[in-house]
Amino acid sequence: MNSSLKRLLQIAVFLPMLWAGYLSAAENPDDAYLKDNPYAEEEDADKTPAIADPLEPWNRAMFHFNDKLYFWVLKPAAQGYKAVTPDIVRVGVKNFFHNLTTPIRFVNCLLQGKPGAAGQELGAFMVNTVVGVLGFGNPAADDPRLKPHEEDFGQTLAVYGVGDGFYIVWPFFGPSTLRDSVAMGGDYFLTPLSYLNSTEASIGIRAYDEINSTTFRIGDYESLKEAAVNPYEAFRNAYIQYRQGKIRE
Amino acid sequence: MKKFLVCIAAVFVFAAVSAHAADSAGPMVSVQGPIQQGIDLLRDPQYKDPSKREAQRDKIWEIIRQTFDFVEVSMRALAQDWKNFTPQQRKEFTEVFTDLLKNTYIDKIQSEFQNETIQFLGDEKVSDDKAVVKTKVIRNGKIEIPMDYSMRLKDGQWKVYDVIIEGVSLVKNYRTQFKEILAKDTPAQLITRLKDKVIQQEKDRTTGKKG
Repeated sequence: MNSSLKRLLQIAVFLPMLWAGYLSAAENPDDAYLKDNPYAEEEDADKTPAIADPLEPWNRAMFHFNDKLYFWVLKPAAQGYKAVTPDIVRVGVKNFFHNLTTPIRFVNCLLQGKPGAAGQELGAFMVNTVVGVLGFGNPAADDPRLKPHEEDFGQTLAVYGVGDGFYIVWPFFGPSTLRDSVAMGGDYFLTPLSYLNSTEASIGIRAYDEINSTTFRIGDYESLKEAAVNPYEAFRNAYIQYRQGKIRE
Repeated sequence: MKKFLVCIAAVFVFAAVSAHAADSAGPMVSVQGPIQQGIDLLRDPQYKDPSKREAQRDKIWEIIRQTFDFVEVSMRALAQDWKNFTPQQRKEFTEVFTDLLKNTYIDKIQSEFQNETIQFLGDEKVSDDKAVVKTKVIRNGKIEIPMDYSMRLKDGQWKVYDVIIEGVSLVKNYRTQFKEILAKDTPAQLITRLKDKVIQQEKDRTTGKKG
């Protein structure tokens, strides 16, 4: 009787300590594996963004393809173009295309219940189209009231609770998710470029936009790749973190 | 500059001794000084000459070394895998990972600095010993890049353990990379892989291949 009472007391004392330990570890799941015992096993996977990648072989192949495409085609074209094109022209073209995609941002701001943001996009569009001459100029950038809001249909769907789905790497377009890829179809209808009669013109213009944009980013891709120990995974994770950040905004 | 840092360190020690260490030398203050020093260094005309790059690099590294806690960074980059490393491997990993980060990012900072300015937006306490300092890097007066520093209070000093740029956390990014590698390779192999990468970086740097 004495020994079982003792045992009962031991448990009565021990249990709350266990519980307290559990509670304090559960408090900051991010550090739980560091708390006093750095080797403690704690699942902090929920803190690290992850995405399913059932198409991994395809994705890796596309990643490789895009990598080569960048170094063999896009970058040389961009460098050549940059060498012969004055900065002001390149910036102008960038502004023009950005202005053209205002409907996408405007509609998606509204869909996400952000009328203020939608208004700012509309305001910027009007200022840039009129004062900025069809969008080549960007006087709206100087107005602190007209901030750009990078929203797209993929983010809208995410806000409505649609999950990522899984990771897809498209040739040319680059990384995406199942949801974002489907959403590109939605945004397609909001881009004036889609209503051009000629497919070649449409593709040609998009290609030009891409080359022009790349002139501002030469070096970024290389930096990211160089900083990575495991490039495919680095880009996948960076893309997911970046998208989640954008969705939260 | 060194004296200044020693003074700051002294302040922190004093603060740790007094009652509520967490509140005295705030996280933002701990990171603001060093960042400003770093920018001043980058702007300093005496380092414009390419021959002075190494000297500038060493100075920048001194600042970074004292502001970042690389053990914390390394532990978090490995997360659950940390326990699979022997103490010797942990030390090796921390050293080589620190070298990797140093080579990657100082080179980047030095070559691509375009007179950016930094706006400190404030800090946010997450818990007693953790905080996030929010800043904005402004390039050419127009392009804004949000950059947050996750900091931890250790031994009375706030040190950085993660940098989050445009929503992308450095530590988390490396964590997923290492996780995938360690799913197939042993810790020793990962360390070797990192060492090879660092050697490659040193080679590229001295031959001036990468800018």
